[in-house]
Amino acid sequence: MVTYDDAGQPKTPQGNFVSRYLFSTDHKTIGLQYLWLALISVFLGMAMSLIMRIHLAWPAAQVPFLSALGDTPERYGLLPLLHGSLMVFFVLTAAPQLGFGNYLLPLQIGAREMAFPVLSLFSFWASVVSLFGIIAAFWAAPQNGIDIWIVSICIFLVAALASAINFSVTAIDLRAKGMTLQRLPLTVWAWLVNAILGMLIFSILLASCAGLLSDRFFGTHFFSAAAFLASQSANVAADPLPALWQRLFWFFAQAEVYIAMLPCFGFVSHLIATFSRKPVWKERLVVLALCAVGLVGFCVWGQHMFSSGLNPYSPLVFSVLAASLGVPAVILLVSWFATLWKARLQLNTSLLFALGFVSLFLSGGLSGIFLARRDLNARAVSEDLVTGHFHLVMGVAATFAVLAALFFWFPKLFGRRLNESLGKTHFWLTFAGVYCVFMPMHWLGLVSQSAKNAGADLSSIATWVAPARSFITVGILLTVFAQGIFLFNFLWTLLRGERVKEDNPWRATTLEWSVASPPPTDDFGDGGPSVYRGAYEFGVRGGAEDFIPQHVAPGRVAKAN
Amino acid sequence: MPGTIAPPDIEIIIEDSRGGGGGGGRPPDGGDDGDRGKYRPNGPPSPRRFSTAITIAMVSILMFFMALASAFLVLHHSSHVWVAVHLPMILWANTAVLIGSSFLLERARARLSLGDERGFRKLWLVTTAMGFLFVAGQLVAWRQLAAQGVYIASNQASSFFYIFTGAHGVHLLGGVAALLFVLLRNFEKSQVSRSLAAEITSYYWHFMDGLWIFLFALLYLGK
Repeated sequence: MVTYDDAGQPKTPQGNFVSRYLFSTDHKTIGLQYLWLALISVFLGMAMSLIMRIHLAWPAAQVPFLSALGDTPERYGLLPLLHGSLMVFFVLTAAPQLGFGNYLLPLQIGAREMAFPVLSLFSFWASVVSLFGIIAAFWAAPQNGIDIWIVSICIFLVAALASAINFSVTAIDLRAKGMTLQRLPLTVWAWLVNAILGMLIFSILLASCAGLLSDRFFGTHFFSAAAFLASQSANVAADPLPALWQRLFWFFAQAEVYIAMLPCFGFVSHLIATFSRKPVWKERLVVLALCAVGLVGFCVWGQHMFSSGLNPYSPLVFSVLAASLGVPAVILLVSWFATLWKARLQLNTSLLFALGFVSLFLSGGLSGIFLARRDLNARAVSEDLVTGHFHLVMGVAATFAVLAALFFWFPKLFGRRLNESLGKTHFWLTFAGVYCVFMPMHWLGLVSQSAKNAGADLSSIATWVAPARSFITVGILLTVFAQGIFLFNFLWTLLRGERVKEDNPWRATTLEWSVASPPPTDDFGDGGPSVYRGAYEFGVRGGAEDFIPQHVAPGRVAKAN
Repeated sequence: MPGTIAPPDIEIIIEDSRGGGGGGGRPPDGGDDGDRGKYRPNGPPSPRRFSTAITIAMVSILMFFMALASAFLVLHHSSHVWVAVHLPMILWANTAVLIGSSFLLERARARLSLGDERGFRKLWLVTTAMGFLFVAGQLVAWRQLAAQGVYIASNQASSFFYIFTGAHGVHLLGGVAALLFVLLRNFEKSQVSRSLAAEITSYYWHFMDGLWIFLFALLYLGK
């Protein structure tokens, strides 16, 4: 873990290494621990995708270390499961919400701690146990492996539920004096809506996992395919996946997409406003849009099940609901563009990643509107299109937002600033890389779909598929190489990066910048801050600065000389 | 939910807490912030967080059971191999015990707000014992079903019976633990008062009571 700079700190952390870093209840330590966990998981998950893509393009290739991961057919088949579990649970759920959230939520609302610090500690270590469980499941025999995997997921869900309760209570009850709902930063709104959504859907997956475990250990028949087939008429039985499991699973999994995305919306709105030096355009509408994403995201699970024998009217409902998610998405996009409009942009790496997020969200989201059409989906859009769609919109876009947040808050977290030249190289290589990977995937999906139509010229299509696969693999190699640059930048900056001189290097308005960087152990010290204004007072005229921080009282705004 | 009226001493605690959260605190106006220390002592945060947390946790637990209940309804409608479970009669007695315990718990809290510590302890102890009695009664129901040859894996209907009663029982044992905590804990050095802890425990206990009535009705009417 990181060594704090003791020189500028009024109070140094007490206790030895174990109580200070491993079992600390300090929200900052726990937030950093989650970020480290996400960093390890993202590189593990990336190794999985690397070996899968290399073997898709060149099946006989032997890569040192990596090829051992998929050395038997069973283990190779488990790679997508492990890749998905690591990325969805330990990166996309952990980094934006639990990592940055634990660290910044109390700081941004002016609280000394999370509402239940011991609960945070429990959540983190339960997540670690769950991560080890998932990795152990991969190495165990296939039959036991699935049991270990389900139990690990259950542990993660309990931890996530505890965090969700902790986050909601903190944001509701621990706000500093004057921090009304109207003055909450959009990041805090996003974490709050996200926590409430998580509290609802993680319970549902927990219940489904309880049913699965009961099926496996007690021999019950909640989700058994045999019982399902016996109860269906002949024309439905073509799809052997039990509809009940699909229903419960997608109830969780569709909303999980928004779990990953909501904090990212918050980050991006926050960063775009800060670097445009302008208030967020229609801030209240953005808050409503965030709430709407949470609400509608909760109601669209059926859109994954159009081909599973639903009541014929329900796809229409789900289709309309899913398409209506376009409305809050458009509100967010318009707000981002309107904030950027005619602004004097400070085009640093953090803003570049935020803009990259907007680009990926837009291009990935467009195919989502097509996928929400029930007639298209009923014809079973092939896997490559869906893989391309959700990686672009959920995986990569969210990762870009997390990187934007990391570049922005790195001075707050560690008192040092990430290298801008390395950061920009990393950004452009990654940005080009992910488009090279996931756009051809959309195309491959459409092509293989059209190959199923009568009269298609299969031979002319087949000559294009293999080169496209190889192209994707080359794109992956480029992207992974770019992440090496990031890792170097990250570790090098931690050890000997440029120190930030002032406490508020970005000239930002929210409360976390009113204290030293990294913040002292007791955050705001004796007597917390008072809040006097909204979170985005940028572009102020007539003052010494073009912004007014939230904690500055009306009579104390610095005047221009 | 019955009995959510806060006793007077809790009102005092809430007023003493920082004026910030909940949207109720008015933002300071004017340039003077000399009284900031008064609003936000550097101690533990507002005790209101406990009631917020239990409310949110109850919604979460409700979602867990709703997922199982919807699975029950879906499988019941679609399954051709559904054999209804003949519910043991002792479940009616268990239900009566649980409803009685909720009633007694409210009587105990009324005693506490009157300052009658002894009366509170006695009634609270009886409530806790009734909680244990309910769990024991559920176990008897399991034994009776097992004696008839109805096990968890016998049929989808019996699986649901065991899963519902088992999951509810585990959650209820958490409530029993909370009851014991309120009874045995020394609150003199604690951040919260005994009446606040009793109030929060009462929310959960009544919730467990209502949840059981719902599950029982579901199992009874849906058989």
